[in-house]
Amino acid sequence: MKKQNINPSDITGTVLNIQRYCSHDGPGIRTTVFLKGCSLRCKWCSNPESIRMKPELSYDPKKCTGRKCGLCLKSPFPEGAFYFVEGDDEHVKVNWDLAMDCDETHASLCPTGALEMFGKTMTVNEVLDEVEKDSSFYRNTGGGMTISGGEVMLQPDFAAALLKGAHDRGINTAVETACNVPWANIEKVLPHVDTMLHDHKLTIPERHKKWTGADNKRIKENFKKAYEMFPDTTFIARTPLIPGVNADEEHIRAVLAFIRPHKNVIDYELLPYHRFGLGKYQSLGVVYELDDYKTPSDDLVKKLQAIIDEAFGRK
Amino acid sequence: MNIDRRRIAINVGAGYVPGINAVIMGAVLAAGRLGWEVVGIRNGFEGLLSRDHSPDGGLVDLSPKLIENLDPSAGGVLGQSARIDPFHVRTINKDDMVEEVDLSDDLLKTLQDEMIDGLISVVGGQGLSILYKLHRKGLNAVCIPRSIENDIAATMVSFGFNSALSFTIEMLDRARQAAQSARKIAVVEVQGEQAGWIALQAGIAVCADAVLIPEIPVDLKNVAARLKDKISARRPYGLVVVAQGAQFINKAKNEEAVSSLKASLSPLATGSSNSEHVILSSGQAAQTVATELQLLIAEETYPLVIGPWVRGGAPTAVDRQLGLGYGAGAVRALNAGKNGVMVAFVPPDMKFVPLAEAINKVRTVSTDSLFVKIAQSLGIFLGREL
Repeated sequence: MKKQNINPSDITGTVLNIQRYCSHDGPGIRTTVFLKGCSLRCKWCSNPESIRMKPELSYDPKKCTGRKCGLCLKSPFPEGAFYFVEGDDEHVKVNWDLAMDCDETHASLCPTGALEMFGKTMTVNEVLDEVEKDSSFYRNTGGGMTISGGEVMLQPDFAAALLKGAHDRGINTAVETACNVPWANIEKVLPHVDTMLHDHKLTIPERHKKWTGADNKRIKENFKKAYEMFPDTTFIARTPLIPGVNADEEHIRAVLAFIRPHKNVIDYELLPYHRFGLGKYQSLGVVYELDDYKTPSDDLVKKLQAIIDEAFGRK
Repeated sequence: MNIDRRRIAINVGAGYVPGINAVIMGAVLAAGRLGWEVVGIRNGFEGLLSRDHSPDGGLVDLSPKLIENLDPSAGGVLGQSARIDPFHVRTINKDDMVEEVDLSDDLLKTLQDEMIDGLISVVGGQGLSILYKLHRKGLNAVCIPRSIENDIAATMVSFGFNSALSFTIEMLDRARQAAQSARKIAVVEVQGEQAGWIALQAGIAVCADAVLIPEIPVDLKNVAARLKDKISARRPYGLVVVAQGAQFINKAKNEEAVSSLKASLSPLATGSSNSEHVILSSGQAAQTVATELQLLIAEETYPLVIGPWVRGGAPTAVDRQLGLGYGAGAVRALNAGKNGVMVAFVPPDMKFVPLAEAINKVRTVSTDSLFVKIAQSLGIFLGREL
């Protein structure tokens, strides 16, 4: 079959959200484009709505008028997907096992917006037109566009077209990635990236698998290849810091040993675990697996940060 | 299908409750009397979805010989999986990436290939919905309700509840003795995210000072006022039982401290952890009640959590009988040609309730229930005057 030539600006991808005025996802003020779909299942994930590749239903009981409406208990909504419990509770309850098949059509029928879809299909141009609105901020602060996820590299053609398109419009680019994808995906994306923020979640492969669903052998190979094959790209390593999982000196030192030989890895950031994502799990009917973990103390974070500062000669 | 010689399977959903072996025994003995063959699926559906994980291909022959030696007071012989959902099975794909795949068709085909013409599934509330979905795809399924909280509405008693209740009562007795000795108020969190049956019935059994359940939202100032009245120099201790899912009115905001070095993993994650969507974690309710009461009254309080301890151990006499009865009842359902039903204990009978009617219904405590009236008669405070 003859291969169709698609204009890069018409390539489509599944976008979760476009967030403006971000200050933690690369240099300067940035617009972060969150893509849907992830190849890991980190138990601490604060963005569960980004995990599944397809757009999915979410439910916000605060917007629901409950028994006054009750539209979602009738056709065309799946039988048994929504229900009321006996008693004073006015809110609709969701049977997520039966509501999984709901789509945009169903969500659009909800008059209050309590049901909505996380994620929509967008073209490269649609995203870039949105991103370009804040060009003056990027120029003044050294910012630009960051693509995050989910896992950016799961939509390599879309991500590459977005990044290239941003460069064509004079916008600085960054990606946030865990790199648990075949190298071919990364190879498509990286030529258009100015800064790559990448996660070193755990050091030992078995423990990486336990907490994220996959081991880190390929991830480390990908990182190493990326550092070596893209010497002009800036890399910033990161660790989501979870007490009892990876918030220890040994992990920090192991990551430093891995990244320090590579001069294009310019920094190593710690991201202390928080529980802000909890509510989103309930909106999606997803089980939160990291129930009883605490945020790391400031003292612990400072102690680990001091090790990093010393390694980067910032003391 | 030859109705005289059938091959049926039995499996157990996520979440251990005491009495599972009794259910298996009940089903196997009843099926044996009909001349049927029974096999057990290991670890929920995992045995059939990952057949190479066990040397017997994930199926255990539940022969009369095995059952003879099965201890009804011991744990489940078939094992369990963390979840029982064949529609979303977490797997590593050919590119070494984690994803969830729908293996329901593979499961149904495997059951067909194994000549299994009926499945007895021991499940909780969520498992009922999944079995309902499988039934709609053609599976001949009969469910047995198991619930620590006794929150499945279509049955009067799920098996597992009585064992959890008995253990909770024993622990509350100990907590009260410890509180008496320490001259403090023990705040004990017990199971019950949606339904307060364990808290209420156990609280009655030990004559607790207050019982806080999800069905009756509570202002802790009222609880504090009641405790002030009850606690004296002659009785310088107290016992408050709180269900895990208790709802609080006018609770002081307990903002979670966030490290100042970096506020979040991602800019999108800026929601409040104190929204009404907060997922209940073990110990949260006891901590809230103990902390707030201590601020409101002069007495010292301390939180205790029974938590998952209730899930282990041997079943009580009631649960052994229920388990055997439910197992035998499921075979009776299959023998009567019932399909897509849940066995329900509706005294004095065992009934077969269609799964479509069993799902999405939670058995909660109503304010006019007999147990609420008993608690009021005993002077147990339920968070507000009813």
